[in-house]
Parts: sequence; C-alpha cells; structure tokens
Amino acid sequence: MDFHLLHFYPDLMNLYGSYANVRVLGRLLERLGHTVTVEAVTPGQETDLSQLSGADFLYMGAGTERRARFAMEDWGRYGEGIRSLAEDGVPMLYAGTAMELLGESVTTAEGGRYEGIALASFATVQERGRRVGDVLGHTDLFPEPLVGFLNKSGVIRGIDTPLLTSLDRGYGNESDRGPEGFHRWNVFASELTGPILVKNPRLLEVIAGEMLKRRGISLPEAWPVDTWAQKGYAVTVRELGGV
Amino acid sequence: MRRFLAILVCKLARWLGKRIGKGSSLPGKLALKVCPDILSRVRLPDTILAVTGSNGKTSTVEMIAAVLRSDGRDVAWNAEGSNQIEGVATLILSRADFHGRVRGDVLLLESDERYAARTFRCFHPTHFVITNLYRDQLTRNGHPESVYDALVPALSSGTELVLNADDPLVSCFARGRQHVAWFGLDRCAFSTDQPSGVYHDGAYCPLCGHPMAYQYAHYNHIGSYTCPNCGHHRQTPKYAATADLDRGILEIDGSPAIPLAFRSIYNVYNLLAADTVCRLCGVDPDTAARTLGDYVLKNGRVKTFRLGSVHGTLLTSKHENSIAYDTNLRYLAALDAPCTVLVIVDAVSRKYFTSETSWLWDIDFDLLNQPHIREVVLSGRYCNDLAERFSYTALPPEKWRVVEDIGGAAAELGRSDRENSENPGELYVVTCFSDRDKFLCLTEQEG
Repeated sequence: MDFHLLHFYPDLMNLYGSYANVRVLGRLLERLGHTVTVEAVTPGQETDLSQLSGADFLYMGAGTERRARFAMEDWGRYGEGIRSLAEDGVPMLYAGTAMELLGESVTTAEGGRYEGIALASFATVQERGRRVGDVLGHTDLFPEPLVGFLNKSGVIRGIDTPLLTSLDRGYGNESDRGPEGFHRWNVFASELTGPILVKNPRLLEVIAGEMLKRRGISLPEAWPVDTWAQKGYAVTVRELGGV
Repeated sequence: MRRFLAILVCKLARWLGKRIGKGSSLPGKLALKVCPDILSRVRLPDTILAVTGSNGKTSTVEMIAAVLRSDGRDVAWNAEGSNQIEGVATLILSRADFHGRVRGDVLLLESDERYAARTFRCFHPTHFVITNLYRDQLTRNGHPESVYDALVPALSSGTELVLNADDPLVSCFARGRQHVAWFGLDRCAFSTDQPSGVYHDGAYCPLCGHPMAYQYAHYNHIGSYTCPNCGHHRQTPKYAATADLDRGILEIDGSPAIPLAFRSIYNVYNLLAADTVCRLCGVDPDTAARTLGDYVLKNGRVKTFRLGSVHGTLLTSKHENSIAYDTNLRYLAALDAPCTVLVIVDAVSRKYFTSETSWLWDIDFDLLNQPHIREVVLSGRYCNDLAERFSYTALPPEKWRVVEDIGGAAAELGRSDRENSENPGELYVVTCFSDRDKFLCLTEQEG
C-alpha cells in the first residue's frame, strides 16, 4: 500500500529537528512493507486543494513565533479542507507552535492578533517570557509515560481534550503540570518541540495504527522494534524520574 | 561612600577568591548588592568593546585582546569567560582605584547574548560586535529570534555596531541605525550556490518570512542573500575578504595574507570580526594581520592527546548547537588522511539539567560519510539518541557503532589491535565542554 504524507512548510516550520517526525513515521510504514511518499507544501505553492483529500497524514512542525505567523498567512487557505479531513478521521500531527494555528486565534507578545484555522475553539496568547524545560506526562492512549521538551511562549486556553492528560514535570497548555496538547478525532497536537515521535515510540505506533486502520489494514501483531529509539526512550524516562 | 564600599568588597572578595580558586562572578555580585548602580559610578576607559553572539565570542575576544596589546594598548578583558553582569562588574571594579577610575586603554567584554541588556544598563560600549545568531542552548535561549529580541535593548543608539553582514538575522540589528560597520566574506572557492545543512529556516527572510535568493553560501544559511519580497539583503563589508581553506589563508582588503592556525570557516569569521573592530579602533592593518597570522587560541578549544598507541585531537563543540557541530564535522570531512571519530553526548549541559536531545536532528552527521573516516564511535548516556539519529544518515551501518561507556570507548580506541584497526589514523573526538574532561582525563594530554 502506498501512503501519502503531506508535510506543511518543512523549511519554515522546522525548529529543533521537527522534520524527524515525518522521517520516523515513514520508516515505520516502510518496515511494515508499505511504500511512502512525502509531499512538501511550501508557502505560495500552487496546490490543488483536492490533493489534501488524498493524504493519509498531515504534518506541520514547530517554528519561531514569527515563522508560525508567516506560515499562517499561507495556511489559512487550507483551513476548510483540513477541518473537513479532521472530522473525517485523517491522522495529523502538529508540533510546537504549529499547534497554536489550529485554534481560533493567536495573540502575539507585541499585542497583535491573527486567526488560526479554527479547527478547535481554543485561543493562544503568546507572552514575552518563555517556558522551557523537560516534560514527563501521561496520555489516555497508552500506559507508558510520554517524554519531551517544551520551549514555548504561548498560553493556550479552551482545550477540553488534551493529548497529555496530566504532567509530572513541565508546563501544560495553561498551567504548570496541567494538561498539555490537543487530541480530537485523529488530530494530535502538542507544544512539545522537536521529534516527539522519535522520543515516544508508543505515540508513533498509535498514529501509524490510525493510518493503517483508516486504509482498512489490520494492525501488525508486533510492531517492528526500533532498538535505539526504545533504549533512548528508556534513558530519558529514567533521567526525568519516570521510572 | 557606597562606591568606595562596593569597590572594596569586590577587591577583597577577588583577593580571597583567587586564594581559594573560586570563580570570577561572586565579587561582582557582592559589589552590585552593595551598590546596584556601581557600573554607572565608575570612570571607564574611552574605548569599550563588547562582543556577543551564539558562537565565537570567546575566541574573537581573545584575538581582539592580542591585537590591541600588540598595538601597545592596555586591555582589560574578562578572560575568565564570566560574561554576565556579575563577571563584568568583577573585572571593572578589580581594575578600578578607590576614586572609581578604571585602569586601561580599552575595556573589552565578552557578553552573554541573552543578558547583555542587563549588563549594559549603566554604561554603553563604543563598539558592539555581533558575530552570529544560531540555534544554541535552546534550554535557556529559546530560539535565535528570541535572542535577537533580548539583545535589541542592549544596543544604545550611540554605539557603533560591528555586524556580520553574512548572517541574515544579525543584519537586522542595523535597521534604523546610523553607525554600523560590516564584516563578511566574499565568494570563495569553497562557497556553494545554496545554503547547506539539515534545516533551512535561516534562509527565509527574518523580516517578511519569504524564501531568500542566495548568490552564494559559505556554510548553512551564512552567505550573500537577497529577499525578493522585501529587499532585505547582505550589506557590503567594510573590508573585502576572501579565504582559501585548503591553503589556510585569509586575505583582507589587500593586506598581507593571514595564515590560519586552524583551517575552519568559524575561525575565519572570528578573525574577520577581530580585524574589523581593531581597525576601527585605529590599529594599523599590518599590525592586525601580523598578530592574527597563525594565532593559536589559548582558550583550549582544540586539545591534542595520546591514548595508548593512538594520537588524537579533541575538537570542542557545543551540545545544543548544531552549527558548532557542523563546523567541526565539516573540518573532519575535509581532511585527507584516514581517521576515526568518537562523538560523546553524556551530559547535555554542565550548567543545568536536561535530557533534551532533539538538537541532534539539526546536525548534519552525513558529513562524516567519507572514505577517509574509517569508523565513528558513539558514546555517553545519550548514545542511543545519537545512534537513532545516525540510523537516518547515509553512513553504512558497518561504519558506526555504539560503546555507551566513555571509559570503555577510550580503552577500545586506544588499543593498537582493535577491530577495524586497518590504518585507523588520528582519533578525533567531538564533544562539548560538559563532557570533554570525562574523556581527556583518560588520556595523556599534550601541550
């Protein structure tokens, strides 16, 4: 089976190794015997919006606050199509500041305001200070802890369906150790910066699993093991006091 | 009275600190407690030079000091690297008499880029050198644009900025300012047509977000750029310069060629920054070129050692700083003799705790995929994260392996009969300040 991955703004929105999420997802699907094509979408690109409907996975990585705003100037034209795909169950992942663009609005630290694609009814207010640090949290999707690193200026209010339901360490959407990220339908979003799917092999399996299910493919009895990723995850959990 | 007291406290604490081998920040910290505005109550030298940026601060400052001294100037500088306000206060007050007069012709300060606004609240440099702004220490810096925002308030309108013309973000500091001197490198034999590296957001205009057109790039997004949308572009440097890394020569503005002690593009930019600001201070170009030629940095970023039967070189890099890594990897890629490479990531930082390793994905490890690089060994607590990253490079699996324990890696690599030992050549170690002593203590250091 051929899987088609759409990667929005891989240059502009690629802070701290964000691109690795697409690489690791593609490799897992290939190890399961599928072929994978990744299509990059760049700002201003002539794109036939019907291409969206052929996508098995949509992704946008983290960018600086200014870059996210630049990205949004282009991304708005895809908003309606993306909302429709989300309701239809297409898996997608938004990392770092890309998550903020899913909401109704973003207010910048300088006081400006711009609209997101309103896939959900949350709003982001960026502050001058940044919240940075390691994160250890929990999700309803699997029992293992989720790890990552936060590097954000935005406080996000209005999320009822977080990806991480609680944090043992780190700052959530709007409070210390509060819920973090967003998860509805098969839309996964988190302000955790960088390669969240590399760091969390279980989350990678969940998203790949949703892609398979949507194409009517049964889940593998055993997922291919990425030894280095598994060992790296174990070390990080240990270092963050998770086990 | 408070000024007198603050200076006294600083001098006493400094004297005591030196005797017990303590750091250089505490005396200044104590003095600032006694008199918070002490730095506006002292009489500073007429020339005050500040140097900041993500990379190259310490090296650039060291070279500026060497040139100015060879020109006969009395230079006060924070050689110990304490580059926040406390360390700066220690330096200034240690050299002040009790009337507040600071001894020296030139005050030369390496400044932390994130906290420069605090340091320069009470006094302003005459010249402010900004070397570059890269992804660096995300744990404390956020990202380059947030560092930019933090640095803007540190730049007084009366200060002459000395800016890297080839860095698109650094160039933005010149907006709305009159006194700016640019340094940069013209197209060289090693220049490429397009930016290189794993990520390319730096090649998008920092002002309008539009992709920029490159006339050439020296490394990553550093080079000659023009934004077709808003017109942001590389400014012409004050002194035209070209470098030949194969021959190890830098030529600036027709002056005698400067031989490079370390043939790295980084070193070239540090030299350009140092040369430009020294000339602005009235140093004769020949004096600058003579001092900078073959100048060997004393800050110990490059260490040579013996490990058993093997000779090695440690290239100090910076974790959380992919361009620092890329520069060292590019250096290794350009070698023509066989070598082995050891990469160590054990503690991400020596200053704070984090287990954050996403910066490994920003490093262009494919640069190590060279026939003369016989083997790459990955070691340290985060060797698995390194290995995961390597599994996405073009390096064949048989060219790299993992030895988690640093001591174990050293023991293996120091043996003459080790596996894959068919002419393994020089051993190059790439790691950070936070980890290098864990390896060096197992070796016999030279020099």
